[in-house]
Amino acid sequence: MARLTIDGQVIEVPDGTRLFDACTLARGEALPHFCYHPDLSIAGVCRLCQVEIEGAPKLTIACNTAVKDGMVVLTRSPRVQAAATAILEMHLINHPVDCPICDQAGECGLQDQYMVYGLYESDVAKRDKVLKRKAEPIGPHVILDKERCVLCSRCVRFCAEITKTGELGILQRGDRAEIAVAPGRELDNPYSLNTVDICPVGALTSRDFRFRKRVWLLRSVASVCPGCATGCNVRVDHEGGRVWRLRPRRNDDVNGPWMCDRGRLEYKRLHADDRLTQPLARRDGALRPVEWREAWAELERLVRPGGVALALANPHQTVEELLLLRRLGELLGGPEAVYGGVAGTDRGAGDDLLIDGDRAPNRAALGWLGLREAPADELAARLGAGRTAVVYGGDPAAASPRLAAALAEGALIYLGTARGATAEAAALVLPLAMWAEKDGLLANRQGRLQALRAAIVRPGAAREDWRVLAEWLARLGAPNSPPTLAALRGEVAAALGLPAGTDLNALPATGLVAGPGAGAPAAGGR
Amino acid sequence: MNDTAAASGAFALSAASRARLDAVVARYPTRESALMPALWIVQDELGHIPPAGAVWLAERLQVPEARVWEVITFYTMYRSEPQAQHVLQVCHNISCHIMGARGIIGHLEERLGIRLGQATADGLFQLEGAECLGSCGSGPCLQLGRHLYENLTPAKVDALLDSLRRGAPLRPDTDRSLEG
Amino acid sequence: MTREDCRILSARFGRADGHRLAVYEAEGGYTALRRALKEMTPLAVREEVKAAGLRGRGGAGFPTGVKWGFVPAEAQTVYFMVNADESEPGTFKDRWIMDYDPHAMIEGSIIASYAVRAKLCFIYIRGEFGWLVDRVQAAVDEAYRAGYLGRDILGSGCDLELIVHKGAGAYICGEETGLINSIEGRKGQPSIKPPFPAVQGFLKQPTIVNNVETVAAVPPIIRDGAAAYRRFGTEKSPGTKLWSVSGPVRRPGVHEIPLGLPFREFFERDLGGMADGEELKAVIVGGSSVPVLTAAEVMACNLDYESLAAAGTMLGSGGMIVVPQRCDMVELIQVLMHFYWDESCGQCTPCREGTGWLHRIVKRLRAGDGTAEDLELLEKVCNGMMGLTICPLSDAAVMPMRSFLAKFRDEFAALARRPEASGPPSRWARATNEVIG
Repeated sequence: MARLTIDGQVIEVPDGTRLFDACTLARGEALPHFCYHPDLSIAGVCRLCQVEIEGAPKLTIACNTAVKDGMVVLTRSPRVQAAATAILEMHLINHPVDCPICDQAGECGLQDQYMVYGLYESDVAKRDKVLKRKAEPIGPHVILDKERCVLCSRCVRFCAEITKTGELGILQRGDRAEIAVAPGRELDNPYSLNTVDICPVGALTSRDFRFRKRVWLLRSVASVCPGCATGCNVRVDHEGGRVWRLRPRRNDDVNGPWMCDRGRLEYKRLHADDRLTQPLARRDGALRPVEWREAWAELERLVRPGGVALALANPHQTVEELLLLRRLGELLGGPEAVYGGVAGTDRGAGDDLLIDGDRAPNRAALGWLGLREAPADELAARLGAGRTAVVYGGDPAAASPRLAAALAEGALIYLGTARGATAEAAALVLPLAMWAEKDGLLANRQGRLQALRAAIVRPGAAREDWRVLAEWLARLGAPNSPPTLAALRGEVAAALGLPAGTDLNALPATGLVAGPGAGAPAAGGR
Repeated sequence: MNDTAAASGAFALSAASRARLDAVVARYPTRESALMPALWIVQDELGHIPPAGAVWLAERLQVPEARVWEVITFYTMYRSEPQAQHVLQVCHNISCHIMGARGIIGHLEERLGIRLGQATADGLFQLEGAECLGSCGSGPCLQLGRHLYENLTPAKVDALLDSLRRGAPLRPDTDRSLEG
Repeated sequence: MTREDCRILSARFGRADGHRLAVYEAEGGYTALRRALKEMTPLAVREEVKAAGLRGRGGAGFPTGVKWGFVPAEAQTVYFMVNADESEPGTFKDRWIMDYDPHAMIEGSIIASYAVRAKLCFIYIRGEFGWLVDRVQAAVDEAYRAGYLGRDILGSGCDLELIVHKGAGAYICGEETGLINSIEGRKGQPSIKPPFPAVQGFLKQPTIVNNVETVAAVPPIIRDGAAAYRRFGTEKSPGTKLWSVSGPVRRPGVHEIPLGLPFREFFERDLGGMADGEELKAVIVGGSSVPVLTAAEVMACNLDYESLAAAGTMLGSGGMIVVPQRCDMVELIQVLMHFYWDESCGQCTPCREGTGWLHRIVKRLRAGDGTAEDLELLEKVCNGMMGLTICPLSDAAVMPMRSFLAKFRDEFAALARRPEASGPPSRWARATNEVIG
């Protein structure tokens, strides 16, 4: 361990700790900085994190210094303040200061430092400012403003070290230096939007988010991306009932500080035109919106306990929902009628970074709950002719024509969020919530339970899934319909065989690895 | 996004240059580290490094294309566009300045009918400024190709230009080949 | 002791044939290499150079033998590099060594590589010295043929490969980590330290970089011994130094003198004083990146590291620029500020933005578009650049700027009081502004 004094405060940290991090610990906030990033190599070019170390004649950058026992450091001395002010001014002299038209305003490193150091009067003659190209798309998702760039090189290091795609470089030298892609090339790796996250200023911004919402109007909810089995932790940024963007949330056990572009743009489907917002019942051959009361009545007419040949879930539903559906399905058609999904669907190409070839966020839970995925043909055969099916989520009719035909022949109840082929073939459609509109648990490829959190309200008359399933169970007279989500989670914990006292309403910050070993369902535990 | 083969397809290097390149790549400890001599080999043959050449080199040396462009644009001597036949680079740093560089530059501008940074319409001459060329005790001076012309006077400049127009360049001050 | 006695580095300067191996050998060349390989261990070679007190001649003046000792004892792969990127304005001594005496540099490189246990040596020659690249390569080829390079040199069991690497125009490659990065096939941007190159340099291996003149001083030290080397110079600045002299003196060019010689004697005896019709105004003694001295100040100096430091400047590269009375100091500082703006690698914010800002302010002042506040602004910009960057290029711009402002302030002030220019600028001013603007 090393004992050192920072601004008069003595702290003890492990040997080899970066002085930058030790200062953050002692001060409660990071030193001013642009180029330092804990997940990238050290560049040492912005020069903002310089501190005074006793015995050293010059100021030293804290990001490239390891602590030493007995070190005495000053981070707020007059000399350090003067240097930081001067260096910040250097960052600003060629900066366009076009905050009124810059997306970064409100979450900008320059703005933040500007407020700390009170640099309100500029000493730079406007005619002395170096001009560069603005608003230049450099890839499908990212747009570059070279004037705003402070050349911290984070984006270049990201492409070199994290994605190892090397699209970005810094061309020229001196104050002509600029971020660029090679002629004819684009910034088009599957993680390109992370460069927008790490750019401390408005040089790299998201084309999708451009001019859409001022960030200080956004509120943020911590949730999980539903795009694949990795389960990157995210922030859902919303305002006025809409989600405007997703950003990654650091979880060093799952995704670090990154997420992929596809997952990041996942939020768009929340506001797609084909959302189901009303229960729909088939009248005279066509689906017509009905009130929930009439939908429940229709449900009772269409479905009798024991009369359901197929109760089909999918691995996008939460653990709580899957548990309830299994209970419901067994009641309606017996255990042999209940399936976890259509085998072989929701797969794509994966990589060795974050993208999992399994495009479903909760497939692990299927195994835990004994829900088997079966090939479409098997499901179609099971349905036979003219029998009743309950399909929960997904769009299995789109996956297989044979299954589509079998579903269409009988009475089909569809519970879901989008009006796809399966909904179109149904006798009754119940509108439910998407991932950002409900609370729920998902189990990623590590067997880690992580929590979805509702950020926005469901559209129209759509309802939370677990409530609909619980009500249905209640109407069927099932004795174990849970009254609250908390109670339901208690049942989930029991079903997964988790240690007594595990509170699934208060997961640890990085999630809870339940895993097959820790969470094997108790035999017969339903 | 361009396909690498298509982007570099138009690019071809002579057999001699390719052999030189192979030798350099074999000599340098890593392929990446051979980039600077590789760029010189291309530029020595073609007079500049065409964009297709940059793509080709990136592939040959297994470095990102962006890196090749970083290097081309960082160093003043690598050129990515065709140059005039004779590129005259006149030092305008402090010692040459004290000894009359701006007069020499003015004289050249007048004689060639162009300004610093421009080329003559016939593609024969290109006039540029240069930082210190290491001829401080023998300035003013200019660089032409691999050599320097030093102790410049208007008369010497005129003689040089005439000799270049005739295709029989004045012997550079750094050419000591006759001395063995 | 005469000047002829101390023609140690300059013995073959100005001769038509001194670059040939046969001549070099006939005059004692490669004797030192034989002695080093056959009679001395690498440690003994390092100790001898340390005892001689040789200091780096590129500009930093760091003790060479000490630097060689920084390579970790257990290092398996070590690289040695010769910094022939000479680009410091006013400096051309390394050019003369390579032109007239390339084998001195080559022999010194082989001995140095032996001393630090390097098996691969690069000589990095700036791209603008195209003819020297050819010349040095020819000398290297001679050395290979004679068995001084390659495998089992002189039967010693030691191997050394030597590659001549051509630069492509960047002053910053004269900074040793910039040079290393350049040879790695990247931009020549200096690296942050730690790690230091002696521990982690080229391809992350221990690397030692030395200047041409430093390396050329090694064979005489090994051949004749440290004590012989120390018979010239002072205690803290032993040996001789090559001074590159430019400006309107009677005898510009490269002069070798013992360190410690008074400037007055050098100026009058070796340089012959000012040329006809010229008067001394100022001298920049160590290449443009050191503070300027007025005529009165420099006349009181001795030419060694410690005296010049005491006078508030630095010996640097020994590129002595003699400034005559007729020169406008603000015009000269515009030339220099253009240079640092042109050559800044652009990594660190204070240097990247500051060099450009300084140049633009001075340019505006000279064009009549400046005020008295601009003089204070220049000082303020300097404060934001000095001692705050990865490498000393930022300081190199500040030192002349600050010293010119301090010692010739009236010339700056006169411009600041000038009213806005009216009418087109004269052809003279236009040419200057175009050239150096």
